[in-house]
Amino acid sequence: MYTLLIIQLAVSGALMGMVYALIAYGFQLTFATSKSINFGQGELVMLSALFSLTLIDRGLPYWLVVPGGMLFGVVLGLFVERAGVRLALEQKSEGWILLTIILGLLGFSAAENIWGRDDRPFPTPISSDPLHFFGIDVTPLELSVAIGVVAVMGLVELFKRKTLLGKAFEAVSADRDAAQLMGISATRTIQLSYGLSGLVAAIAGILVAPITTVGPTMASVLILKAFSVAVVAGLDSGFGVVLIGLFLGALESLTSFYLGSGWREAPGLVLLILALAVRPNGVFGKASIRKV
Amino acid sequence: MMKKTMLAALTMGLFTTLQAYGADTVKIALTGPFTGGSAPMGVSMRDGAKLAIDEINRAGGIQVGANKMKIEVIERDDEAKNERGALIAQELASMGDLAGVIGTVNTGVVLAGDKHFQEKGITKIITPAAGSASMTQWSKAGVKDLSIFRFSADDGIQAAMVVEEAINRKLKKVAIIHDSTNYGVSGRDDLLDQIKKQGNRLQVVATEKFNIGDKDMTAQLLKSKVAGAEGILIWGIGPELAAVSNGMAKLRMKVPLIGGWTLSMSNYIDNAGKNGNGTLMPQTFIEDPITPKAKSFIDSYHKAYGVTRIPSPMSAAQGYDAVYVFAAAVKQAKSTDTHKIKDALEDLREPVKGVIATWKQPYAKWDPANEQTHEAFRRNQVVMGMVQDGRVVFANKADRQRLMKAAGK
Repeated sequence: MYTLLIIQLAVSGALMGMVYALIAYGFQLTFATSKSINFGQGELVMLSALFSLTLIDRGLPYWLVVPGGMLFGVVLGLFVERAGVRLALEQKSEGWILLTIILGLLGFSAAENIWGRDDRPFPTPISSDPLHFFGIDVTPLELSVAIGVVAVMGLVELFKRKTLLGKAFEAVSADRDAAQLMGISATRTIQLSYGLSGLVAAIAGILVAPITTVGPTMASVLILKAFSVAVVAGLDSGFGVVLIGLFLGALESLTSFYLGSGWREAPGLVLLILALAVRPNGVFGKASIRKV
Repeated sequence: MMKKTMLAALTMGLFTTLQAYGADTVKIALTGPFTGGSAPMGVSMRDGAKLAIDEINRAGGIQVGANKMKIEVIERDDEAKNERGALIAQELASMGDLAGVIGTVNTGVVLAGDKHFQEKGITKIITPAAGSASMTQWSKAGVKDLSIFRFSADDGIQAAMVVEEAINRKLKKVAIIHDSTNYGVSGRDDLLDQIKKQGNRLQVVATEKFNIGDKDMTAQLLKSKVAGAEGILIWGIGPELAAVSNGMAKLRMKVPLIGGWTLSMSNYIDNAGKNGNGTLMPQTFIEDPITPKAKSFIDSYHKAYGVTRIPSPMSAAQGYDAVYVFAAAVKQAKSTDTHKIKDALEDLREPVKGVIATWKQPYAKWDPANEQTHEAFRRNQVVMGMVQDGRVVFANKADRQRLMKAAGK
């Protein structure tokens, strides 16, 4: 009974952790190619979810809403790259930090004005009636999140390894200057990475929306956790984020059970501090060697 | 010289316009969260109040002494944020010709703002904020003369009913789950207090909390389940309450969920869906046309705002009745002076026919030893409501019969 309880807690938490992982993966994609990240990633998640909800309200079936929302995410990602990142990178400045934050705030205000500040339910054909596995309760909705996250990451990784465009992506990630000398456009590749990152954010939004409900503040908690996961795992760790995401989610759930629900947020922060103190490149990160 | 005369003329002009303005309208401010998680309550309260104001204005206004005066509304959205609420209170308190204020949903906002009204002696009717601290802050401070009134079933009454309901349902072990805001924490204290008062017949096996924005309640619920809770008493607001209900369905916890009236908020009912069925909460008004007065109120609300369901029926009804109580006080005071209105409210001679009840002497002279002097609601004006298929209905048929009978008299 007692072990079952711990497993139930860990599983429930870990499934939420998968969402942290997917958002963290969005950070990784852009960091790999451009060494920059979109600090407004949470707003991308939120805007895509709200846009998808509008599509549902218009009467579109769920299976059309998903690609619609994804496309919207890609467009947003590309917009962030063009408006907030490209110029800063060209001038080798760190201006993208502020610019992406500003774009995020802009997105937040836009959402408040267009959709209002209310949290609204997100209809989904996936059932939320619990399934019973070996004494543990899981809803198909939670499982869909887990499956979706793994599938998306798997597909993106496959794309990077098996296609020509993907190889260019890897080349720019490995060494931007060398890749450019080989005739690969770094700008295009960075653009691609931001588009992909937007896509991942949109999928995260659509997957998690039925659980969290949809509103302008839906991603504000998620994004902090995702950032912790990205940093703890390492910004170039690939599937490392999944392990850390699962771990953090389970840890949160167990902490609020054993230490009290007020301590829920603590493990993420402690983990972050520990990681930065002991392994600044992340648990699964590679120490970068830079030859001058 | 020239400058001085101009200035004088300007001030004079300003004065006369202000006076002219003040002379033919009764200025009432409506405040509350009209956006955000508490918006269903704020918007319903505002719209219910405006319905009453429209009715009064259409009939020519309030009889103030010899002439009839229309009501002028000033609206302020506090976004459920304490600091916004404090700013708005300061602004309103400095207006000078305000007859009074009606509103506020969030206890935190009440605590942040009301001191500015009290300082200037501006009459305020709090509705529908229910947190006990809204009134006890004044009794604790030993204030002798208070211009703040409440028109809402306070958490003390609500907690008493919640505990009573749990005992009536023969529950022995309960868990208390609450949010970490002022509202949730004081709700927990009220519940513990009531359990003691009602003879310690409930054993609290777990006390858990959650933060605004939390969606995964597995840990809190499992702790209650493991401890053997036969019921969950809860204090929080809409979206998180829905997360609790959804979590209970996931963990197959089929125990009663009983809590504060926030369980009737539309963002709880919508987000919990079918998992919300059977949830119990105290209500001052149920959207059920059991009396002609209730029917006409519900119909005109639906028509005026183009809805088929009031987002928070009791907030709307309380806003509506509060305006009529206030208007009665203006009439009795024969003045728009906020201090005189306060005195009239403390000794309202004529009964006010409202949609919730007929209000006979709802308030009395403020006594710091007894907050009930400025509380309008008593236990018998509150009933138990239950969520059923997206609506709140009477939980006990007897209450429905009793109210129908009372209205028939």
